Amino acid sequence: MVGNRKRWHNPVLYTLASITLLIMIYPYLHMVMHSLAVWDQVDRNFFPTKFTLRSYQWLLLGAEDVQPRPWLRAFLNSMFVTISSTLLMMLTAVLAGYALSKFVFKGKKAVNNVILFQMFFPSIILLIPSFLIVKQLGLYDTYWGMILPKSVSLWAIFMYTNFFKVIPNDLIEAAKLDGASEFHILFRIVLPMSRSITTIVFLFLFMERWVELLWDMLIVKGQQHLTLNVLLAQMFGPYGAYPGPMYAASVILTVPIILLFLACSKYFKEGIQFALK
Amino acid sequence: MYKCKKVMAVVLTAGLASAFLMGCSQETTKTTTQPDGTVTIDFWAAPNPPQQKYWQQMADEFAKENPKVKVNVSPMPESPSSEAGIQAALAGGSAPTISENISRGFAAQLSDSKALVPLDTLSDWGEIIKNRQMNNTISSWKFADNHQYVLPIYSNAMLFAWRIDMLKQLGYNEPPKTYGDVMALGKKLKDKYPDKYVWANPDLTDPTWWKRWFDFFMLYDAASNGNKFIEGNKLTADDTSGVKTLTFLQDLGKNNLLLTNQSTDPFEKGTSVWTTIGPWTFSTWKEKYPELKFNESYVLSPPPVPDGMSTENVKTFSDTKGLVIYAQAAPEKQKAAMQFIKWVYSKPEHDQKWLEITNLPPARDDMNTNDSFKSYLSQHPELQPFAASIPNGVPPVDNAKFNDLQTTIGKQAVNPVVTGKSDPAAAWNAMKKELQGALK
Amino acid sequence: MSRREHRVLGWLFTSPYLLYSLVFFLIPLCWAMYLAFSDWNLISPVYNMVGLGNFKKALENPGVRSAFWVTYKFMAFFVPIVVTGSLLVSLLVNSLPRYKSLFLVGYFLPYLASGVATSLVVKGVLSYNSPLNEWLRGSWNLTIDWLGSPVSALLIVAVIIAWKFIGYYSLILTSGLESIPTEVYEAAAIDGVTGWSRFWRITLPMLYPALFTVLILSAGVTFGIFTEVYILTKGGPDNATNTWQMEIFTQAFSKLDAGYGSAIAILASVVTFASIYVIRKLMEKWGDRYGWE
Repeated sequence: MVGNRKRWHNPVLYTLASITLLIMIYPYLHMVMHSLAVWDQVDRNFFPTKFTLRSYQWLLLGAEDVQPRPWLRAFLNSMFVTISSTLLMMLTAVLAGYALSKFVFKGKKAVNNVILFQMFFPSIILLIPSFLIVKQLGLYDTYWGMILPKSVSLWAIFMYTNFFKVIPNDLIEAAKLDGASEFHILFRIVLPMSRSITTIVFLFLFMERWVELLWDMLIVKGQQHLTLNVLLAQMFGPYGAYPGPMYAASVILTVPIILLFLACSKYFKEGIQFALK
Repeated sequence: MYKCKKVMAVVLTAGLASAFLMGCSQETTKTTTQPDGTVTIDFWAAPNPPQQKYWQQMADEFAKENPKVKVNVSPMPESPSSEAGIQAALAGGSAPTISENISRGFAAQLSDSKALVPLDTLSDWGEIIKNRQMNNTISSWKFADNHQYVLPIYSNAMLFAWRIDMLKQLGYNEPPKTYGDVMALGKKLKDKYPDKYVWANPDLTDPTWWKRWFDFFMLYDAASNGNKFIEGNKLTADDTSGVKTLTFLQDLGKNNLLLTNQSTDPFEKGTSVWTTIGPWTFSTWKEKYPELKFNESYVLSPPPVPDGMSTENVKTFSDTKGLVIYAQAAPEKQKAAMQFIKWVYSKPEHDQKWLEITNLPPARDDMNTNDSFKSYLSQHPELQPFAASIPNGVPPVDNAKFNDLQTTIGKQAVNPVVTGKSDPAAAWNAMKKELQGALK
Repeated sequence: MSRREHRVLGWLFTSPYLLYSLVFFLIPLCWAMYLAFSDWNLISPVYNMVGLGNFKKALENPGVRSAFWVTYKFMAFFVPIVVTGSLLVSLLVNSLPRYKSLFLVGYFLPYLASGVATSLVVKGVLSYNSPLNEWLRGSWNLTIDWLGSPVSALLIVAVIIAWKFIGYYSLILTSGLESIPTEVYEAAAIDGVTGWSRFWRITLPMLYPALFTVLILSAGVTFGIFTEVYILTKGGPDNATNTWQMEIFTQAFSKLDAGYGSAIAILASVVTFASIYVIRKLMEKWGDRYGWE
């Protein structure tokens, strides 16, 4: 595409790109605007003109006839479940990826095949029995019930296996001659070299876990372990909806992950190059 | 680069901190009996906020007098309905001790799966019934196996609300009473305001079972003068009134008086002039639409009836719910639950408080005679029509297969008739055929 | 390191994964097979084995039939939207002289959205008396029953999900575009191949590997739709958005018919697996034409 670009192209292209950007992020802007709008403008004006914190107040403190729902707790729950689940997925993936890329053992091929098989296997069939397993293990309505069934990511194993393959064996051999243990090599030498891929894997796993609804909805029953998604989905019953607070809750659900992503966007750009190959 | 690390550090700390916090506050409810003999019971309140408020207050007061029993009140999960939420909890083996918001049909289904405690086998049952003056009410709640599984809490005849302010602009001083009146009003409304509708209700095209309570059954109960739609395992629906009900719905649709698009508060915003209403709506209105005033902006009326029928004592659907104790709860919890229920219903003041907070009429024999209820109602004219309609209330279908049955009513009859895909008589017969198949 | 060490450490390091697969893959898989032949309702202490009854019932159920067709209808909406959308976006980004990655990061933001939140926002925006619809009625005399008519309801779900994925897929396509060597274009320019024909004859074939990934990923997404449908339409109107996940959820957890739900899940898995396989094969055929292995 080099060579035929004329000068007048640029402003047009940037305008187009900016308009696209605006369309892509408009739903977020809409959410924020209407979460702050006065109640008789929510969903009635395109662009609200008067603003208030009433929606947030209603959400967090309740109203005369409305007990506040545990939004703060749900936020912390979501945080905790997402982080634990993500870290476990990373740990299992790093271990398995290292074994599959650097060790020679009988059965390795079989393990590789099992992973491939699972990757292409439609997981929909597992929904009901997984629920029953969680119940049998006594994990229904607990954090572990939400975390453990999501503690392995086949994609992450795949990513790490491929990345570790690229790391030269000489490096590992050299460390071994210095008397380093395998764990030491993995966590002190190999992993720090994989920072960009780790960021990518972390971000993607975090994002995926953060927006999960179906599984959490099946496992959570009490107030204690509610996650943000489940609470938000439950807020709309037959007894009348509150659009303002709904937007406010959506903001609470969305903002943290956007901040996390934007803060890490530089690593993201580096890592994504590898991830996409 | 540093930003990312910092934010991640914050996120991780927050996660761990929350883990710590959660860890501390958790697990208090899992064990049944604490070493000091305290029993904690879980009470699931209906998703309706005022009901949560009521039970929370009751639990707090009860705690003052009974330090050995702790009542944990929380709203029941709706995923996607409160019934489904309870079923999933039962399937997960972690049902609460008590929950309210149980209809008779649902109780029948649950008792078939041995999920409920027969309340009459627990001590104090007789005393509760006597204290709360519900000997008459309770007799109709006996189940096929001669046990009582539900303690009815309220029984609320559903009504319709009309935007009287808009009706007045059309020359009406009172709401229409028959199908013909409604159609005539609709024509006048369309002439003046082509963009407005008589009824805005997307539920009419939704087959979800419980939606039928608030459209089909209200109209059918009125049209059939309280005929029981299904009795035991037999379909006893009345053909003539059924077809008339469906024809009315179809006429509304055909004349463009029905809006089935998804809309936000259409009645409150004046997009439509008619809506189904229960007393729980008033507290929401107070907060969101304080400008809506009884007798100025809206009035209440029973369902319209087919032309030529008497418009006195019109029957309507009665939303009747009660509380149950789950068999999964440990015996000492069941006992403590009974203790709590007995305490709540030992004093009429508690039922008065119920009425004040939730606006729902308590299921008591003396609801319309007891002075304390009377005086409250006289101060709240918008509740009087509900109280007056209690004798005209027809309880819901109490078959254990209520979910499938009522889904069929939607799928075969109401939904296709409203959208004009099928004509009332054919739809009615198709529905009957499927219902009879399901009831076998 | 000795062979023994290799073996011990190899199995040790993969053991967490293997244990997980046993508990949350192999056992559930067998359990699902067993459940599918029973009429258990998840609560009752007793249940019967009903042989192939559940499968027979499933094949006759309009909900299951609709789930089967809805999936392909959804695919017919979703895949073209998301592929063209992300292709356009990546062509646009690729032609920007600077700030490429800034825009890419911006376009990626929708991927972070929770389906619950976006669906609720869309529900509000599309309700009959929302500002958008009031405006359409006022200025164009247009009233659209967005979520009430079968085609538009499905289309809206497809658009929401496409919105979420466009940024992600355009990352993949942009890196594909970047990997096309400039010499190829220069050579083509000498032969007088420019504009559209350059796009069809050079860019598209060279982009094949990236497109392959995007198409397979987006087809995969099609078989796992739940959140948006659950919040927006609950599978309606008239089953027009009833996806496999929605149907299984309704049967197993809303109607509590776990045996029946498992039978449907097995059917769904077979259909999903076969469909993805066929799509892969078709894509590979297409790749053969361009000389990709």
